[in-house]
Amino acid sequence: MALYGSRRRSSAIYIGLCYASTVFGLGWLVLILISLFWEGFGGLSPAVFTEMTPPPGSAGGLLNAIVGSLILTFLGVVIGAPLGMLAGTYMAEYGRHTKLTFVVRFINDILLSAPSIIVGLFIYEVMVTRMGHFSGIAGAVALAVIVVPVVVRTTEDMLLLVPNPLREAASALGMTRAVVISKVSYRAARAGLITGVLLAIARISGETAPLLFTALNNQFFSTNLNAPMSSLPAVIFQFALSPYKEWQQLAWAGALIITFAVLALSIIARVLGAQRTAK
Amino acid sequence: MTEVQIMTQDQETTKVPEALDAAAEATANGGDAAVDSGVADSGEAKENAAATQAGAIVANRDMAKDRPMTAVKRTPNLPEKVSVRNLSFFYGESRALSGINLPLYTNKVTSFIGPSGCGKSTLLRVLNRMYDLYPKQRAEGEILLDGENILSPDQDLNLLRARVGMVFQKPTPFPMSIYDNIAFGIKLYEKVKRAELDERVETALKSAALWGEVKDKLRASGLSLSGGQQQRLCIARTVAIHPEVILLDEPCSALDPISTAKIEELIDELKENYTIAIVTHNMQQAARVSEYTAFMYLGELLEFGVTTQMFTSPELKQTQNYITGRFG
Repeated sequence: MALYGSRRRSSAIYIGLCYASTVFGLGWLVLILISLFWEGFGGLSPAVFTEMTPPPGSAGGLLNAIVGSLILTFLGVVIGAPLGMLAGTYMAEYGRHTKLTFVVRFINDILLSAPSIIVGLFIYEVMVTRMGHFSGIAGAVALAVIVVPVVVRTTEDMLLLVPNPLREAASALGMTRAVVISKVSYRAARAGLITGVLLAIARISGETAPLLFTALNNQFFSTNLNAPMSSLPAVIFQFALSPYKEWQQLAWAGALIITFAVLALSIIARVLGAQRTAK
Repeated sequence: MTEVQIMTQDQETTKVPEALDAAAEATANGGDAAVDSGVADSGEAKENAAATQAGAIVANRDMAKDRPMTAVKRTPNLPEKVSVRNLSFFYGESRALSGINLPLYTNKVTSFIGPSGCGKSTLLRVLNRMYDLYPKQRAEGEILLDGENILSPDQDLNLLRARVGMVFQKPTPFPMSIYDNIAFGIKLYEKVKRAELDERVETALKSAALWGEVKDKLRASGLSLSGGQQQRLCIARTVAIHPEVILLDEPCSALDPISTAKIEELIDELKENYTIAIVTHNMQQAARVSEYTAFMYLGELLEFGVTTQMFTSPELKQTQNYITGRFG
């Protein structure tokens, strides 16, 4: 009995520690969200979504930054996601046991955890210096480089979860490999694949470092991919560091917008993921 | 069913086939014949009842090695849809099948029985070259389908698989609607009009005895069906593309008795139009559904013949032991 009692005590201590660390970890997140709300909510107004970033000392909005972020993120995903999907498909379907897959997976994992500023520097060297100026397209490519490893990883993982008998059954009907993959494997893994892309979007929509070296920033509204382009993270970076009250307020508002956009995407990804496992 | 009798112990001693050689007969004292034959030299093992199962298998293996005993009794003048000739199969270095020779007669059901790991599923997977999906698996020998060797490197695998359909152990409906599960395969090979497609789907579902249960929910996901219904959906899907041969790999092992009975009835109807090969662990099922039976053991075909004969008076001791549930 004494032994059991001590086990109960150590169990209680262990559970207590788990709770404590959970509260500690989540506490910071809650504090961040509260301060975001506190500071950012007051700054949210129709003007934020309709006016351009202002010069110091005057009122304005974030329209150019929001549109810029949407364009850059969209292009980043459009360039990166198909590449990642195809690579992940190769790894899970065609080259499952090959050396190449092993090597690609290893390198991909390194890329996955590479600091994003390195990606920015890389694109700066290969694109910005050659073009002679900062540009939206360089920013989009930098974001795409960040998208690829995320999508490669999720695509491979999700396709590996598709049971082999399903592929065999499809092949047994005489489908070619490509049809088996596109009509059966992708379908079976659809929710997981979409989740992967959503997570990649969530990841890049907050990236600042690679954009500072590539798309830079733009005070004015611009959709020209060959010219510097504004983006929310870059504007937040610039405005938050500035001494001007209006700019700081806009930075808080921008941070709030990004955070909630990412939060919404993550929730959608989770819901889709839950559907997959429920089935 | 009455003509097929599973051999009982009493019959065993009286009906030992003459083909059995002296060695086997000498040890055939009462019901323990097979169990004792291999371990007769070691007195301990004889007394140790716990060792009997393993002993029996070893014993039979040794006997098989001493004198290659196989009994393939073909029925002359029956058309062979598939002829397996001297087939060996390898998973990497390890040999899973050796020297298989047998026919699949046109519009007959042939069942493959044998203990787990004997190679019967492997043989089935060679018949539509399913193994080709995986690296390091290879087959040697010949398999003639209507006289053409399907193991030749020129064989188009997708066309082959359209001719030789396969249903798997676990139901594998595609993640799409019931209708699409079937229409999908048809659309791969034929351009058909909508109305004709509807008709083909209906025919396929009817021939798999599933139409009545799903006709009001064709748009529902194939995954929403019960296990037995899913398996019949898979059969319908296979039948829909009009193959010539259908391979069934333990199609009922994941199903309840009622679903099993439905699928067995189905097999009986399907053989009108198709040549069928079925792998099963269920002796009664083999006896019920098939005209021919192949008994496999450790990668070899030991006996092949008419099912009723195999189950009442098998040529070989091993066959007899297996179908009476003595080992395996």
